[in-house]
Amino acid sequence: MCSLTFFVLTIIISCQKNDEKKAVSIIWKNKKAVAVSIPNQLAEGTKPISVRVDASYDNELTIFGDIEKQEDRLIFTPLIPFTRGLTYEIFEGEKSIAQFSIPQPDASDAPKLTAIFPTQDTVPENLLKVYLQFSQPMREGRSAQHVALLDDQADTVKNAFLDLQPELWNEDRTQLTLWLDPGRIKRDLQPNKKLGAPMLKNRKYSIIISQHWKDVDGSALAKSYTKTFVTTIRDSLSPVPESWKINPPKSGTLSALMIDFQEPLDHGLLDEAFEITHEDGSKIAGEWQFVREETRELFIPKDHWKPGTYHLKVDARLEDLAANNVNRPFDRDITKGEEQKGPQAFVLVNFQVK
Amino acid sequence: MKKMYFVLAVICAGVVLLANTNRLAGSKYGFKVGTPEIKSISALAFGPDGVLLIGDSKSGTVFAMDTKDAVANNAATPVEIKNIDQKIASLLGTTAENVTIQDIVVNPVSKTVYCAVQSNDGTPVLLKIAGEKIEAVSTKNVPFSSLALNNVPSETDKDQRGNPIRVSAISDIGFADGKVLVSGLSGQTFSSTFRSIPFPFTDKQDAATLEIYHAAHGKYETLAPIKTFTTAEISGKKYLVASYTCTPLVLFPMDELKPGTHVKGRTVAEMGSGNQPIDMVTVKKGGDSFLMMANSARPVFKVKYKNIESYQGSLTTPVEENFATAGVNFVSLPVTNVIQMDKLDDSRMIMLQRRSNGSLDLWTSSERYL
Repeated sequence: MCSLTFFVLTIIISCQKNDEKKAVSIIWKNKKAVAVSIPNQLAEGTKPISVRVDASYDNELTIFGDIEKQEDRLIFTPLIPFTRGLTYEIFEGEKSIAQFSIPQPDASDAPKLTAIFPTQDTVPENLLKVYLQFSQPMREGRSAQHVALLDDQADTVKNAFLDLQPELWNEDRTQLTLWLDPGRIKRDLQPNKKLGAPMLKNRKYSIIISQHWKDVDGSALAKSYTKTFVTTIRDSLSPVPESWKINPPKSGTLSALMIDFQEPLDHGLLDEAFEITHEDGSKIAGEWQFVREETRELFIPKDHWKPGTYHLKVDARLEDLAANNVNRPFDRDITKGEEQKGPQAFVLVNFQVK
Repeated sequence: MKKMYFVLAVICAGVVLLANTNRLAGSKYGFKVGTPEIKSISALAFGPDGVLLIGDSKSGTVFAMDTKDAVANNAATPVEIKNIDQKIASLLGTTAENVTIQDIVVNPVSKTVYCAVQSNDGTPVLLKIAGEKIEAVSTKNVPFSSLALNNVPSETDKDQRGNPIRVSAISDIGFADGKVLVSGLSGQTFSSTFRSIPFPFTDKQDAATLEIYHAAHGKYETLAPIKTFTTAEISGKKYLVASYTCTPLVLFPMDELKPGTHVKGRTVAEMGSGNQPIDMVTVKKGGDSFLMMANSARPVFKVKYKNIESYQGSLTTPVEENFATAGVNFVSLPVTNVIQMDKLDDSRMIMLQRRSNGSLDLWTSSERYL
């Protein structure tokens, strides 16, 4: 009896092994189905192998890709990875020899929205930019479908954001910059005169990000997100670094230097707009932190402060929430001779450490 | 024996000649054979002799690649492919909602159509369309050169000009007068990064950014990022014809586009509110040349360059009618929802159009549209 069981088991195992040898397997790389491995046993080896997608239309086309011959198998690498949720068919000549499907992504892989800038809940009515930060690289070209601005009646403000193609993503596709339509914000242009500015002062608005937005691997956001804020009057003035409040640290300490901008600044350039140098010209190493909803920054030095004069070097392209930069306001009335500082690259503000 | 030496000598000479030719072919325009690291394709244009210019927004780089497709063709065949997105999707092993056609251009020498496609996972694909046939264009082991737009300058340059603002999106690319023209948008600041880069590319970063401004009715001035552009000759003078993200159509004399200058375009038209120009080309019929402009929410516009020429001064009187346009006169063609456009030859255009039945078709316009 024992030997019979052993015999049956051996047959089952060897069949499984044979089946495994005959089964196609998907090759994964960074959660993408980048290729399929086709064992030689599957085909007769007489006609060329091709792969087709089982879509609802035009199933006759073979997929572009490279076929690499290995000892006991063929590796087919398509030009773009196989798509989640789709089924593919392998052909030898015109004969179908196998099928395989790409599973849907795991729910645990769902991306998240990690931040929305500005973080303030009060913004000027001529706010120009909104930044969305995600935990994973997202699909491009989808913001018009998935991001909406709602007014206090919960009605969608149509054409509030400029539908730019290509969109303004950072390199790893985790941060998207959206522009509220600059043609509607800029005074006297047709979009501004006909449609008006996207937002009016003293109103409540919400930005809604839909949970249907998928990441590059096909996982949708875990939930939808809402940011609500109120608007104040138009901001038409450039940030003036000379008027910022600087709280200098004491010499011999590692205390933070605190700079109060007196208004929230735009997230875009904040991380790289500042530099501190000592009067002897040496650059001070340390870490920047932006607090109180982008209205203040802290600089924590690596080494103890020495006494002397320091220069805070501010990139003149640094903008506030309405895209007024240090050199010029977003929208300058040239007939009134509104001030424009020269096209300077930096502004220096001095402070003393005693 | 002598004969054999002679044969050997001829073979040697042949090999030397061949080797030289290969090296010359590889080094034309300073190209080196290799595989360019193209991370995305957002804009395409053709340079000289079948050189394809590829705008890669993701890596902030312009690639110039020899397509070796430089046999002159004076009788371009019209292309017509219905449901092109579905066809491309099937060839890439996916469905139409998973691919985006980023740009379509015609090689002005061979008249072959090239097409940049991006899959949802971000993989870029370059395709070639001949008649009804779609082929993949390999970018492996090709002669190419590249120019990074986001190069960090040396410390001394930094002190003078500051860090360059990184280009997040290459909005358009073109080639005129031996220069590659690139308009880039930044995700960090509201600014323009328009560059005119001498071709072949050199190591020198002499392609500094222009500051481009727009003055609405001569009153309010803003920085003005360029969305799309073309070049044209008006009364013997060469112009850049551009459209801003805030929608006006503007002209710049090409010779004023010098690095580091503050340039203001002359507004010749406002193309209406709630609308964005998508693509522009210059075509000819008889003695007239026309600017053709595809729009996001309007039909294709046709503007006679002669009208632009006679329209002097900037736009001063806004139009009263809602959604109206202002400035030079133009004709709306009975063609809407054109997403991409390029010229096939002097008088015909290829258009990628979303039809009212939802089908995305690539087709060729006849001369009667002009």
